[in-house]
Amino acid sequence: MTTTPRKGFAAFISDCMRWSLTGGIGYKLYLVVLFGLIGAGIYAYSQQFQYGLRITGMSDIVSWGLYISNFTFFVGVAAAAVMLILPAYILKDKDLHQVVIIGEGVAVGALIMCLLFITVDMGGPLKVWHMIPGIGLFNWPSSILTWDVLVLNGYLALNSMVPLYILYCNYHGRKPVGWKYKPFVFLSIFWAVSIHMTTAFLYQGLPARPFWNNPLLGPRFLASAFAAGPAVIMMVLIVIKESTSYPIDTNIFKKLKRIIVVSAIVNLVMLFSEVFKEFYSFTHHSLSAQYLFFGLEGHDSLVPWIWTAISLNILGTLLFAFDPTKCNPKYLMAAAISLFTGIWIEKGFGLIIPGFVPSPLGEVVDYTPSILEIMITVGILAAGAFVVTMLIKPALVIEMRLREQAGTAGGGE
Amino acid sequence: MSKVSYVTGLFLGALATVVMMNQAATASGSPGSESVKDKIEHATEPFDSMKVTTAYPLPVKTVEAREQYQGGGFKVLARKDQITRFRCSVCHNDKPVKVQNGVLFTHSDIQLNHGLGRNMLTCNECHSIQDRDFLVDKEGRKIDFDHSYQLCGKCHFRQKRDWLGGAHGKRETYWAGERVVRNCTSCHSPHSPAFPTKMPATYSLPLDE
Amino acid sequence: MDSSKKKEGRMQTEDMAEKKSSRRDFIKKMSIAAAAGSAGLVVGGCSGTPASEKMGLKWQEYFKKHYRLMTQEEKDATVTRLERLAKLERGIDVQMSDQGPHEQVLFGYAFNISRCKGYMDCVEACVQENNLDRRGKTQYVRIFEMDPGQLDPTAGDGQYHHEVPVKNKFYMGVQCFHCENAPCIKACPTKATWREPDGIVVIDYDWCIGCRYCLAACPYWGRRFNWGDPEVPNEEINLKQHYLGNRMRMKGVMEKCTFCIQRTRQGKLPACADACPTGSRVFGNLLDPDSEIRFVLANKKVFRFKEDLGTDPKFWYFMD
Repeated sequence: MTTTPRKGFAAFISDCMRWSLTGGIGYKLYLVVLFGLIGAGIYAYSQQFQYGLRITGMSDIVSWGLYISNFTFFVGVAAAAVMLILPAYILKDKDLHQVVIIGEGVAVGALIMCLLFITVDMGGPLKVWHMIPGIGLFNWPSSILTWDVLVLNGYLALNSMVPLYILYCNYHGRKPVGWKYKPFVFLSIFWAVSIHMTTAFLYQGLPARPFWNNPLLGPRFLASAFAAGPAVIMMVLIVIKESTSYPIDTNIFKKLKRIIVVSAIVNLVMLFSEVFKEFYSFTHHSLSAQYLFFGLEGHDSLVPWIWTAISLNILGTLLFAFDPTKCNPKYLMAAAISLFTGIWIEKGFGLIIPGFVPSPLGEVVDYTPSILEIMITVGILAAGAFVVTMLIKPALVIEMRLREQAGTAGGGE
Repeated sequence: MSKVSYVTGLFLGALATVVMMNQAATASGSPGSESVKDKIEHATEPFDSMKVTTAYPLPVKTVEAREQYQGGGFKVLARKDQITRFRCSVCHNDKPVKVQNGVLFTHSDIQLNHGLGRNMLTCNECHSIQDRDFLVDKEGRKIDFDHSYQLCGKCHFRQKRDWLGGAHGKRETYWAGERVVRNCTSCHSPHSPAFPTKMPATYSLPLDE
Repeated sequence: MDSSKKKEGRMQTEDMAEKKSSRRDFIKKMSIAAAAGSAGLVVGGCSGTPASEKMGLKWQEYFKKHYRLMTQEEKDATVTRLERLAKLERGIDVQMSDQGPHEQVLFGYAFNISRCKGYMDCVEACVQENNLDRRGKTQYVRIFEMDPGQLDPTAGDGQYHHEVPVKNKFYMGVQCFHCENAPCIKACPTKATWREPDGIVVIDYDWCIGCRYCLAACPYWGRRFNWGDPEVPNEEINLKQHYLGNRMRMKGVMEKCTFCIQRTRQGKLPACADACPTGSRVFGNLLDPDSEIRFVLANKKVFRFKEDLGTDPKFWYFMD
């Protein structure tokens, strides 16, 4: 390993790639598994590309399935990086400043996953240039999808540019210049809220789907994102703490826990509000909620999922709220997995599928994803994990080296 | 430096809020475009539908209707060419018909089921006894087979009014150009007018695979 | 999509100037290659084997503009290409039209729920006329067998298959209602669906990217998606086609009822209205004060489905 970093952007890239791919046997095995899953996903997608989306379990009634469900959830995870950025840069919290780069890495990985999910869900991905204004037609501002395209890509740019600049400066051992990146940081804080509200508005703006067409959907998305996103970040931090020598103070876990608990409780309050509205005065608009929670006309495939999700959600919230172990990593990992899984189910296919059932003409069908569809989904999740790993591993190396050189605690300012 | 950041942050926050509010306002449906009701109310000028038709004239025999609809005159599908044994007076003239089981030979395909219970119609209530080539109404007026709507409309006056206007019955092939409509007996057998019960032409699949 | 490719595009680095010139060279080389490639394919498309002609036609079709932005020459050119492609791929002689709307015409539709007996002749006629997928049994028109006292098809049965009409039930047909304030038009991110001046909501199939947002937005389930390649036996294909109507669609695009645009712009009734044996379907020009549809709207008690959603559909229901 070279002691002094070589100059130049190309050197930076090649060093980062080298650092990403070196590691112990466990790490290499992890990468091999990821490559395997990604390869299986690519094969499955080749089938879908050739035969069309009929190889999935979607139909004209449930026309969005596993892909869009995961897209919805992971946009939230991406938005949740703001929960680290806000304290780190505006409130000048030293502890969280050490791990904010990891949060941004998770955000970029989640966003890449979202873009991949949208690409595999489209019937004509080669025609996506039809959306580019100038050479195509862009139905902005009428279509919320166009807003989503703008905000997601803008957020990706913001969240990759800023850490890239900071890391590049740290790579050369110098402090990043404040005015070059701080405005973009502030922008990304508000932008994070807007990406998730815009994604929520995709569904919220459709009066054809009464399950989604309520004003609480946007705020609900934010609450669940700020619970599930930091849970993901906490899981990544625990893995880093257990498997590398990168120092992560327990205070960081305490602060993250606080963020998660508040968001998870708000999320549960909103869930209660929605359940009340659906079931107190039962109208035909509540049939989707009945399908989700209790089954409808013999179709009840989602019922065990949603009750599991709510139980895990409540369990995770309680575990985080009343932590007797004082931030023991294993305990936090269990709580994070519980909360994450609960919200993933409830906000993913627990939100998208019931929106389509019953159909606008009252027809009830079940949706079962096909094997190929699951393979593609898992492939994209693996790709996201891969991206996050590729971003975080060199970042950790650079940060640790900076600390050794600077000889003080706390990374670049 | 921190003051600059603070101000920048506030400005960007205000900008983001404005942008998001704009999103809701501009993305909503524009009430500027006219509704269908308004468009209909403003359309009072007559429309010359003869300039629309570019296809062929219909290969059917028609007669000019003896009544008008809201757009003027129109054509009705003829009936006499559909009756195989017209002219009836070939057999039914002053002399009585002297063929053994004549009804069975010629009119056995007729099932009489017009009216309910005690109001069941009989043959002579519609067919003129004096001149079998015509129908007759209660006042004894002769009605041509091609214009049977004049007879049917005596009892079924609501359907006739709707038929003239277009809410009952069927226009033949075109919505534009010359108006050709089906007559009553094109769809309703005069002797057994109710529509039959039958299997539908197709079915719809359940929509989960 | 890996990290190194992403960092390639970022401009906030010290070596920006150096990077710019090398990137410019790269783009120059790529565009020359692309131009050469496309020139070669177009040339190959005009002559040579049927396979290369097909490739050439498909190449040109891929890069064409949105239908609404085409000049009349470009529209005629794409129609010619599509007719030629149909000949090459299936061996059939298609007559495709790109006839525009007539002036002073706004199509309206009325459905008599007292008269419909559930025969479904309309459903079958539509399938034949519009070259609908036989394998997936796509149907633009759906008929619901309803219990009296309820108007909500949630309670109706859309999958009946027994002798009709059943006593004490009525039959209600639904299809795309061609709303004046259509939520599907608002939802489409590429403006692939729009309302023509004569009121028909159409789709440019080649422009649709298949995101299915319009399907989620429609409150009447009026739109369908081609999950796979639609299959129609060659001998059953309707050869009289319209670019915006019943031409053969491909996998990955949306489709819907077009009020049989290939028929109605030539003055004919749509296939469903023409096939109905009970005369339950009334179709015509809403801007013609003497039309049958105007008579129905003026003299019958009419209602529209889910009118409270503000979609302003041009499809009314009435009773005797």
